[in-house]
Amino acid sequence: MTAFPLNPLEEDFPGQQPENHDRVRSEAIVPDDEWLLRRQFAEAPDKACELLFRRYYVNLCNHTIRFVHSREVAEDIVSEIFTAFWQNQTFRHINTSYRAYLYKSVRHRAYNYLKWQVRFQHSADEPVHPSESPSPHEVLQYSELHQKIELIVRELPAQCRRAYLLKRVEGKKYDEIAQEMKISAKAVEALVSRALSRLRKELSAHWVLFIMLFFC
Amino acid sequence: MKESVIQLLLFDFFEGKTTSIQRKMIEEWLAEESNQELFYRYLDQWESEHPQFGPNKEIALEHFRSVMAGADETELHNIEPEPERPFRARRWFLAAAAVALVAAGLAFQKQILYKSLDAGPGKRITYRLSEGTEVLLNANSTLLVPRFGFLHNEREVFLDGEAEFKVTHTRNHDRFVVKMSDRYQIEVLGTEFVAFSRARGKRVFLKEGKVKLGLPEGRQIYMKPGNVFVSGQNGSYKMTVPTDTRPYTAWKEQTFYFNNTLLSDVAQQIGEQFGTQVRIPDTLLAQRRIGGIYKADQVDDLLQILSELMQIEVIQKEDHIELAIPKP
Repeated sequence: MTAFPLNPLEEDFPGQQPENHDRVRSEAIVPDDEWLLRRQFAEAPDKACELLFRRYYVNLCNHTIRFVHSREVAEDIVSEIFTAFWQNQTFRHINTSYRAYLYKSVRHRAYNYLKWQVRFQHSADEPVHPSESPSPHEVLQYSELHQKIELIVRELPAQCRRAYLLKRVEGKKYDEIAQEMKISAKAVEALVSRALSRLRKELSAHWVLFIMLFFC
Repeated sequence: MKESVIQLLLFDFFEGKTTSIQRKMIEEWLAEESNQELFYRYLDQWESEHPQFGPNKEIALEHFRSVMAGADETELHNIEPEPERPFRARRWFLAAAAVALVAAGLAFQKQILYKSLDAGPGKRITYRLSEGTEVLLNANSTLLVPRFGFLHNEREVFLDGEAEFKVTHTRNHDRFVVKMSDRYQIEVLGTEFVAFSRARGKRVFLKEGKVKLGLPEGRQIYMKPGNVFVSGQNGSYKMTVPTDTRPYTAWKEQTFYFNNTLLSDVAQQIGEQFGTQVRIPDTLLAQRRIGGIYKADQVDDLLQILSELMQIEVIQKEDHIELAIPKP
């Protein structure tokens, strides 16, 4: 027997009632904003896919570029996700919102791209498919990864950063950048590759940790 | 937690402005499945409010519509050449990777763990791997296979050159993966196919079954029987369904299959097959074309055919062979 009457105390706990109430409410709200889309998918999947594309394409590209730092690659990745979504009829098997699925997919794909860019060693034990339900920790790690990339780029020397952004994000040619920065094309090349190797080095360090937490 | 509070908290988190304690709070909040939905909803909202660039939605949508209409099978993708092409960057990268590898104690893993099966110039050799898979290795090709047999549930080999695989299906449905250079790989789901992996490109011809191709940038495509995948330079590729598949398997019968093929390509194929360098200094001659199926066990057989057929002169130089138009 405990000395304290536990049950009555818990009932008195002020936070509990309203919190429960809150949760119930939020559960009811979450799936709601896509119900029209879902109905459309049942009737005319192609129209629905188009709607989905219109609704999320730009935001997904904006999210992806945080990881890959290239407009073209970002757009490619998002387009591929939509293509696969249509071709594999993924919309039939989704039990989350379309939005959650799309974000999870582009994050995973962007991560794979980045990994390919930064690490060059294959490791066979990487998961091929994004885990259906990433752990809370994994979900947060993706955001932390793009913040890390941003930080590395922000800390590059000014010239180096400028050359890198013009090349990667804007997709300009070396001699165009050379003209703009009034230096030789060779020098631009050197600056860009210095930026990339800095990214590699710092992300690789980050990576060891990331991968261990992520996949072990 | 109140929705308005969590929204502020998440927005701060997306911007990297949360403390580690707040992060812990978000993590706990996320443990509730329905909250993950909310997470992506706010992420989407946050992205709307913090645009990075203006993707061209209309053009992309147009493309997506054509994909939905079914114009995808033979579509040619063009992936932007990687900016770090400059050799110097690559070398740095290799050095860095090597250092990392040594640090991880993996440096010699490949030499120790893999043995190499070779087919010399002009030779074709059939190997049977420990688990029963048959590999017909074309000339000038190397296959690295695990020295101590395949481990666990992963069968992995490395190919440089060209080979035909007849993959045995194991009881545990183990994956069979052919890794190639430049980060291409074929994942086999029980099947027959011909893989080509040399410096000038990658090619996969699927005869039977199903394979999954891994492309350098993490992209994956599935192949159906009869499909031919050809990589181009700069990461582009093409998937076709040719009616005539003989060009992809001719090498198995010691034959060369030419269909309106440039003589310069013929010279390259001779180099790949026999390890004999053939040069054509005359560019006009190099652009002449040839057709037909020719059996040739040795480089001389083929050269003799060429010289008779095209009325050209074959000159043996010190370390290579030269093709030229005979002087009158």
